[in-house]
Amino acid sequence: MTDVIEIEELHKAYGSLPVLQALSLHVAAGEVYGLLGPNGAGKTTLIHLMMGFLRPNQGRLRLLGSTNLERVRPRIGYIPERQRYHTRYTAREYLRFLGQFSGLTGAILHERVERELATVGLLAAADRSLGTYSKGMLQRLGVAQALLSDPDLLLIDEPTSGLDLAGQREVIELLASVRARGHTIFLCTHYLQEVELLCDRVGVLAGGRIAAEARMRDLRDVANSVRIRVGALDTRLRAQLESLGGSVHCDAQSVRLSPNTPELQATVLRMLLDAEVAIMALEPLESPLERLYLWALHSVPPTSAEARGVLLPSWDANLIAAPPAAPPPADERPGKSDTLLSELLGRSETDGEADSQR
Amino acid sequence: MRLLRFTGFTLLEYLRSGRVAIEIVATLVVYFVFLRRPMDAQYFFSALGIFTPVLALYTTAIIIGLGDRPQSYVPLAHGIGRGTYLLGLFLSACTIVFGAYGLLSLGVALLNRPVDLSLGDWLPGSLPLFLNIGLLAALMLLLSPLVLSTGWRLLVLGLIALAFSSNFIGGVMLEALPETGRALLRAVQALVGGPLVPAFYGFQLAVTRDFSTPTAFANLLAQALLLASLLGLSMYALSRRDVMFSSQ
Repeated sequence: MTDVIEIEELHKAYGSLPVLQALSLHVAAGEVYGLLGPNGAGKTTLIHLMMGFLRPNQGRLRLLGSTNLERVRPRIGYIPERQRYHTRYTAREYLRFLGQFSGLTGAILHERVERELATVGLLAAADRSLGTYSKGMLQRLGVAQALLSDPDLLLIDEPTSGLDLAGQREVIELLASVRARGHTIFLCTHYLQEVELLCDRVGVLAGGRIAAEARMRDLRDVANSVRIRVGALDTRLRAQLESLGGSVHCDAQSVRLSPNTPELQATVLRMLLDAEVAIMALEPLESPLERLYLWALHSVPPTSAEARGVLLPSWDANLIAAPPAAPPPADERPGKSDTLLSELLGRSETDGEADSQR
Repeated sequence: MRLLRFTGFTLLEYLRSGRVAIEIVATLVVYFVFLRRPMDAQYFFSALGIFTPVLALYTTAIIIGLGDRPQSYVPLAHGIGRGTYLLGLFLSACTIVFGAYGLLSLGVALLNRPVDLSLGDWLPGSLPLFLNIGLLAALMLLLSPLVLSTGWRLLVLGLIALAFSSNFIGGVMLEALPETGRALLRAVQALVGGPLVPAFYGFQLAVTRDFSTPTAFANLLAQALLLASLLGLSMYALSRRDVMFSSQ
């Protein structure tokens, strides 16, 4: 599979303030890649570099097989952050103008505008001024304008930023339906839920580079940890529960299962019920993605190639050493943190094998 | 074609935003205060030769403000190139000022026509004024934060101040300088003041409409070249820098 996004050793600084430092990233055709990072990490800067709004200080940036970003821009759809659009127009007028800017004319322009208005559910409000739109509607308009030219690559910047819960859900559902069209999608966000619901692979941007990367499939395979809140636990029952294994941690009013398995959870719950202990709640603790994200943010990213070699999988280490080797296809591509993940999530390799055998 | 569409897009937004009310009010004020008295063609072109450049400065500043917003990333993402973007803003500003000029001309022609002003006089008088309007709009564009960084803008403003400095550095002040200093200042003033000559002579040309000498045509050419240079400089500067719209 070809890489749609190829970024190698990209540097970008605003004056003396470095934002991106030797950032390398590959996204394959058809893949949905989520870039997580806190505010100010450089996510928007990276998207603006890909759109050609900003110029890199150093490094290589190739999109859709070309380093000429002006040339490939018609094949890229862009959804900006914070729903900022020209609100003096109606949705239909606005999309028609943008379609014309993209080189669409006549019947094709009309058909695309109507199709995308229908896709995002704005047909009924198409002749209303954008000034009267809610933030959620504006974000749906953002999706429509990005899809107008039927792009090969969609760059999405903080799609649910500033939206209420209903608006967030609406946009996530919309993006999930867009995902089904087969576009390659690069999604920047600081909401973990968006990545969990939409992405195939996730990277965490910290310290100006991809500090951790993982396949969502791998993260989903890792059991979540849970906490069972109870009325009260006597010391005898606590000892019995803890004798089930190192994954069970008790205190006077809760039992924590980390890592959790359905079998372990059922056994613990059965023992609690048999002992007639009141069960108040069963709640998930931080998810594997959350743990990966927090680890990446709070650990100092490795700076030397040697340190990276330890932490990163071989294909990435090959990229650092010249000559760079072509990365394997995305579905075979391990996350940067595969070895790290096991450690991070408190699992040994053998635990992982045991999990997969169960 | 994209340029015309983007110009139309910008103009329509400007009209719908209601900002154009300022231009309409200013045009009406100029008409009722200055253009209802008995006048000749020379007075007409003098009045418009002062009003329209001032209007060009204001309108271009507002249009640049409209263009320098985060909303503008979307048209750029849809294939409007940086050069087309700048030219679209420039043409939008010029169209509005030309519109005001046209309205005033029409009002005067219908209601208070000077005896010595025919259509044959209006065209040669208007052409150098149109070029002056373009020159000021292009200069404003060059001086916008979108195009030049603060340091470069200060430099250009400094050069403009130097070009006009012969009006306020003279007499005793000039005498106080050593001979070499005076010579150097005069040389620099002549050098940087050079580009002002076509604009000032253009105004004079509009008032006199004297195209009997080749100098008049040469001046029109110089105005056009200066305009092209300013626009080219703006486009080049924007092509070399990061596009970072103000986050208002």
